[in-house]
Amino acid sequence: MSSALTARLRRVRVGTACRIILVLILAVLPLYLDNALLQTGLFSMAAVVGAIGLTILTGAAGQLSLAHAFFLAVGAYSYSYYAGVKDPSGASKAHGLGMPPVLAMILAVATAGVVGLLFSPIAGRLRGIYLGVASLSLVFIGSFIYENARGLTGGFNGRPATEFDLFGFHFGQDNPPLTVLNVVFGRFERLWYLFLALAVLAYIFGVNVLRGRMGRAMQTMRDSEVAAATMGVDIRRTKAGVFALSSMYAGLAGVMVALAFTRVTPDYFILPLSISYLAMVVIGGLGSVGGAALGAVFVTALPTLLSRYSGSLPFVAEPASGGYDAGKISAALFGVAIVFIVIFEPGGLSALGTRITRRFRRSKTEGPATEPKRAMPRSGTVTRTQEDPV
Amino acid sequence: MTAGAPAQLKPASDVPTLVVDSVSVAFAGIKALSDVSFTVVPGSIHAIIGPNGAGKSTAFNVLSGIYRATSGAVRFGDDNLLGLRPHRIARLGVARAFQNIALSKGQTVAENLMLGRHALTRSGFLTSGLRLPSATREALVHGARIREIADFVGLGDKLAKPAGMLSYGDQKRVEVARALACEPRLLLLDEPVAGMNAEESTYMAALIAEVRRELGISILLVEHDMGLVMGISDRVTVLDFGRLIAEGTPAEVQDDPNVVRAYLGTGEDDNGERGR
Repeated sequence: MSSALTARLRRVRVGTACRIILVLILAVLPLYLDNALLQTGLFSMAAVVGAIGLTILTGAAGQLSLAHAFFLAVGAYSYSYYAGVKDPSGASKAHGLGMPPVLAMILAVATAGVVGLLFSPIAGRLRGIYLGVASLSLVFIGSFIYENARGLTGGFNGRPATEFDLFGFHFGQDNPPLTVLNVVFGRFERLWYLFLALAVLAYIFGVNVLRGRMGRAMQTMRDSEVAAATMGVDIRRTKAGVFALSSMYAGLAGVMVALAFTRVTPDYFILPLSISYLAMVVIGGLGSVGGAALGAVFVTALPTLLSRYSGSLPFVAEPASGGYDAGKISAALFGVAIVFIVIFEPGGLSALGTRITRRFRRSKTEGPATEPKRAMPRSGTVTRTQEDPV
Repeated sequence: MTAGAPAQLKPASDVPTLVVDSVSVAFAGIKALSDVSFTVVPGSIHAIIGPNGAGKSTAFNVLSGIYRATSGAVRFGDDNLLGLRPHRIARLGVARAFQNIALSKGQTVAENLMLGRHALTRSGFLTSGLRLPSATREALVHGARIREIADFVGLGDKLAKPAGMLSYGDQKRVEVARALACEPRLLLLDEPVAGMNAEESTYMAALIAEVRRELGISILLVEHDMGLVMGISDRVTVLDFGRLIAEGTPAEVQDDPNVVRAYLGTGEDDNGERGR
């Protein structure tokens, strides 16, 4: 028993150490990367946050959603509405509330959550693929709103997103100036650290939720709704709650996208975005937070990396040359990756990772089996709580 | 939040009587149960038996809120269970072990058992996500109770294993343990020894008797294994084609001509061959 426990502790510690090293590597990267790569990194980290939200909903709770693009839009537009001000030149009709960006970010995430909850009469009653079809409608309703609610969204041309600042430290400009090891920390470097912090927090929160009480409830709900309900899980409430949580993740991802683009435009939040989020969580391994992060980086960074190195890679045409450019090739690669994963490794990148680490780890010795004891006290330890959870 | 604070559980003495009062269930005009009534005395082991299609599983699904009865009443103490959604019934202390194992096979045995604590705990997304002290304390307190229950059913050494990796017999025991983890006042066991070998089935029979002796809760049991039913039940209700055809002690039921006819047939319309 104790040997099994120490083995388990050691494994946890090794895993934690690997993750800390990864974060440290990510933390020094801005010293070496150019702006184009930094921008790819920013979009990747935004996608990491969004994909974690989707893998909790689709992977862990088994609820398909095609509305992720819509909730990214809710986050992005509400951030720029809360933090933005009316364009003095009058070029855009969009107005705003002029709040501090931190507050605007928090409120934007909350707004995405509230909009997700408004959908709960549907999200709480439908299962799996049926929710996927119903949620599709949100993407199209969204497109209509983005183009027509000009006061909020700026219409077809979108609206600028206010740069982020934290207690006078600006992330969108060189104010105050900052130089680390002879590298001038401009917009991309600053945003990199902000995004890294947000992605790490989103990761930790997601892992904790899945390990906790609601995580168990949603995974059992995915495996058998009847069993979960009979064990005391309020199915409708849990489904609605997971949907809202996933919307909040998407909302935060939307804020990050707005900050990275410095602009929110309607043509970004369309159905293919929802589909690429599904590709991320499938490639990463459904229900795995770490897998979703890997899948997000893979899907987001691959097209830019391919086009950047298109000159030196075979078969990759120059962008807009009419041949098979990076965009087309990476779309094909995602398709191939998904087919391979579904057939050979349904657990995705995360299961692949587990398999590799297991090969390196020596087989662990089993602790001695304990004799079954036959004495159960009349459970004097725990009280029955009356109120509903969540 | 006072989640997980140690306190007294309601003592087993408040196990209420379950009264099933002329319950009928119909699916698209087909009567699955008609006017079935029986009473489960607190602290007793009560079995429902009957040939295939007699309505035993339907009765269980009505009790746990999955099917709606078309008429009748089910009283558990002061509460009427009819019309309540399944999780409300669970919170009243009615737990169920499923016949066709309904565990989360990818989760560990411990996680499956912790699900049984769902109604007794209250951490939400925020408390677990931020690992607030209340969530940690809850996990500790309830984790300790889970180990007690696992030891009790003889699964103490398998807590860390994924449920799907266990043998069939062990998975059935996890089912029972998960239901026990709800701290039920009424335990519904749906064919607890179906598909088990003789050794596993003897163990399960001893376990069921032990649960009653240790916890003093009521146990309602659907089972085809007559040896088990007659050996441990206090009372037996016999259903056939959705109707109650006999009720009594195991000895009374075994000699009831209606029961013999239901199980073996009269033979009168079977080419003149006489039933026994």
